[in-house]
Amino acid sequence: MRYLLAFLLALPLMGQEPAPKAEEKKPEDKKEEKQAAGEQKAAESPAPATERAVTGSVDFGYRFVSDVAGSLQTYRSVVNLGEGPKLFQADLNIVDPSKKLFDRMTLFASGWGGDPYNTTRIDLTKEGVCRFTVDYRNIAYYNFLPSFADPTIGQGVFLNQRAFDIHRRFTNVQLDLRPGRRIVPYLAYTRDSGYGNGVTSFVSDSNEYPVPTEYRDKTDNFRGGVRVEMNRWHLTLEQGGTTFKDDQRAFATQTNPGNRTTPLSGQRLVLNGLNQAYGIRGDSIYSRALFTASPVSWANIYGQFLYSQPKSEAHYSQNNQGLFVVLQSLTFFNAELDQLNGQAKQPRTSGSFGVELKPVRRLRVIESVNTDRLHVSSSALLAERLFLGNAPLTSDQVFSASRFVWNYNRQQVEVLFDLTSKLTLRGGHRFEWGDSNAPASVLSQSGPQESGELRRNVGLAGFSFRPVQKLSANVDYEAASGDRTYFRTSLQNYHKARARARYQLLPSLSLGANLSLLKNDNPAPSIQYDFLSRQTSFSADWRPAGGKRFGLLGEYTRYTLRSDLTYFVPQDLTRERSLYRDNGHLITAMADFNLGGQVHAPKISFGGSLFTSSGSRPARYYQPSGRFLVPLVRYVQWFAEWRYYGFSEFFYNYEGFRTHHFMTGLRLTM
Amino acid sequence: MHGAPNRKLFLHLTEEKARRVAGLFVVILLSACCSLFPTRAQEKPQEAVKAAEKAPEPAKPAEYAGSDTCQACHEDIHKAFQKNPHHFVEKDNKRGWEGKACESCHGPGSKHAESVSPADISNPAKLRPAQADQVCLKCHLNQPTHAGRLQGGHARNQVSCMSCHAMHKGPSTLVARSAPAKNQLCASCHTSEWAQFAKPHKHRLPEGAMSCVDCHNPHGSYLWKSIQTVNANEPGCFKCHSDKRGPFVFEHPPVKLEGCTSCHEPHGSANPRMLTRQEIRFVCLECHANLPTPTAASAGVIGGPPPAFHDLRNPRFRNCTICHVKIHGSQASRELTR
Repeated sequence: MRYLLAFLLALPLMGQEPAPKAEEKKPEDKKEEKQAAGEQKAAESPAPATERAVTGSVDFGYRFVSDVAGSLQTYRSVVNLGEGPKLFQADLNIVDPSKKLFDRMTLFASGWGGDPYNTTRIDLTKEGVCRFTVDYRNIAYYNFLPSFADPTIGQGVFLNQRAFDIHRRFTNVQLDLRPGRRIVPYLAYTRDSGYGNGVTSFVSDSNEYPVPTEYRDKTDNFRGGVRVEMNRWHLTLEQGGTTFKDDQRAFATQTNPGNRTTPLSGQRLVLNGLNQAYGIRGDSIYSRALFTASPVSWANIYGQFLYSQPKSEAHYSQNNQGLFVVLQSLTFFNAELDQLNGQAKQPRTSGSFGVELKPVRRLRVIESVNTDRLHVSSSALLAERLFLGNAPLTSDQVFSASRFVWNYNRQQVEVLFDLTSKLTLRGGHRFEWGDSNAPASVLSQSGPQESGELRRNVGLAGFSFRPVQKLSANVDYEAASGDRTYFRTSLQNYHKARARARYQLLPSLSLGANLSLLKNDNPAPSIQYDFLSRQTSFSADWRPAGGKRFGLLGEYTRYTLRSDLTYFVPQDLTRERSLYRDNGHLITAMADFNLGGQVHAPKISFGGSLFTSSGSRPARYYQPSGRFLVPLVRYVQWFAEWRYYGFSEFFYNYEGFRTHHFMTGLRLTM
Repeated sequence: MHGAPNRKLFLHLTEEKARRVAGLFVVILLSACCSLFPTRAQEKPQEAVKAAEKAPEPAKPAEYAGSDTCQACHEDIHKAFQKNPHHFVEKDNKRGWEGKACESCHGPGSKHAESVSPADISNPAKLRPAQADQVCLKCHLNQPTHAGRLQGGHARNQVSCMSCHAMHKGPSTLVARSAPAKNQLCASCHTSEWAQFAKPHKHRLPEGAMSCVDCHNPHGSYLWKSIQTVNANEPGCFKCHSDKRGPFVFEHPPVKLEGCTSCHEPHGSANPRMLTRQEIRFVCLECHANLPTPTAASAGVIGGPPPAFHDLRNPRFRNCTICHVKIHGSQASRELTR
């Protein structure tokens, strides 16, 4: 209401005659006027007087969840929202009129009160002195999908042997000193940690046993640096370091027959007890130097030098009892005691350098060179002792060393030419090359290492067309010819196209269309890979009279994914085709009705999203929703929301679920 | 379709030829650039002379009028601007904009103040994106956020800074700060990508727990698809999935060589764990299918087939990660089994 009033009061101003021309006044008069205006301004001090200290909104209330029909495990893996009182969202801007502690602070929080995704972000600024940001997230990941990694499914037992229920907590704190000045020092700290439990497999020759596991890992990242921002150049120097630890543990105290259903040489393999512990510690240092410069008006230069050297040390111990076998020698044993100490180091150096030249007003030439190279050198010493009964059977020490190398380079030149003021054409060429050397697979006959190479020529083209301000279109096209690639599914000979257009048909109606296409093939006789991905999207945003009474946002996406690749069946090396199809429709729509046509009037919104696909794994996922918002008093609104989640899969119908959510609460606007 | 003849021609280019063509192209361009400079330099005085002849009374160039002058008419914008971080420019003696924040973007405003005609002032919102960006880049070019700008898709496609940043409004609207607001902003153009998040298995973006900017740097990055970096030069995925970072005593090459997207669809998938295929065996076997040969296998492609005891008729062997539990890399087993 107050905004409407302010708007109405301001309307007559638009009808005012233009101010008299300046030349009619003498310079002295102008000076006096300015002085008077300054005095008046100082007296009125309009901005702080009318500025409210806190603006924003807070939504809180209660969520009711109906009984989940179908698979509760899948519901928890996909949605996982629970019942109870919640702080749904808080979005506040706080201005300190005294400007003692800070000038302004923004605070955003969501999902507090037991929701699986809690976030908080605080951004505090004191102009010219500091900027302090805190970003916190606590995300619960629950994953127990019976159809995934479950060898017992054919027997009617639905157990996921790779399930987990974990939390990942992420905190980032950054302090920038003297923002906006020439020299900006900054300090930052990030912690990423995960904890929880799950199911994993303990693997021994010829059998594997699903066992409980506990996850606990933590990475601390400390960094500090300085940004030197001059008018014609900039340099950022950053030095950082991380510490990492992973204390995953798997254990078993009960008899576990494992996944093997048949005896081996008349003996039934079994696990009676297990204690498997990973004590992994790691650290790294890294350096970052960024450089940009515009030495002359027609050239910009930029460069980056990045170096990191993470290291890790592994102390692994394993103690298992039961009946196991060494398949190679068909030796049965009752207990195993393993101790492994390993270390790995991964120096990685990356750099990029580029230049943008503008020789004439209409032409831009961008040349860039990138390089990224790393190698992992590692070694491990495994002490392995096997026992038959209580007597030692074998004692062995195995030393292994491994080396993994990757070098990647890219050179690209691109020319952008403004053919007219409305049309810009682009064209260029990219050459990518690299090599890799990795430990070979078990069956390799080409030595202990296998190598891959990358060589790819890519032609680039495209244009940006903006005939009027209301219409814009971008088209990008890449065509690549590669003769070396790392993997069978890598990009080799490909065509990639992307077109994007937006049109403001009416002041109240804007339309958008996106098209993307990727066609990749690898014609090598032993590979014969054929891949196609196509996506088409249309969107419409209709808000008559600025959405005062009604607004509609609709999006429709149709996608097609087709992959055809041969592979070898391991047991007999016969050739099979892996055909993957995924054709889907995605629809999102939301209609908003303002029942009173005013800012503070009851509002109804309804819509939701719909996903349906056919192909190798047909699925349907519906999420319709409706929301009702009623103003109670000046700064308080009541809301009620309904949401439905419905998921079904054609081949795995036991994974489907349906549920309704009802939310009600208050929105405080400030 | 239209590009069919070019495609053939292009695909038949050998690496050497392509290099030569590219080199020649660069040389021609550079020579063209060099040859243009003297011409331009020579033209300038001639143009100036002509202009002087044509205009007997040269128009008085606009001068800086100061933000106070702007405030007199644009009080509403002035008030909103007080809360905008760009208000700092009002005190910016670093670039000489002290007291001239409005004109730092709109250019000298004395003429406009006299005539009150929109034609007498530059409005970056109505300029072509490339021109509008030049206004922003006057100050922001030499900043760390722009170290990867020229490699980013936004700069190449001439997406203006103002598509995402609002200049006059409060701190929350200069650029979206909360995750849902950021996502909404990105989704307004990247409709197809946002639609993927309506699939059942995805990162938690629709829930507001993450934003597009957590993974992509809208200003560009030296990594493919403007992927954010962490720890200097590692892909941003490891910011949250640091347990998959390594280094491992026994690495799984795709993780390092092609990244997470070699097996996962991070925007969303109908397959569990956001996998690229409906069952895990296809993800694995499509790569592990190069027959062992005494020479370089399958034209140097990495990934040999599993040993013959992997009998796919047995469901135990159709779920590869049941045994290869440390599929992202292992500290204790070359076969990634522990």
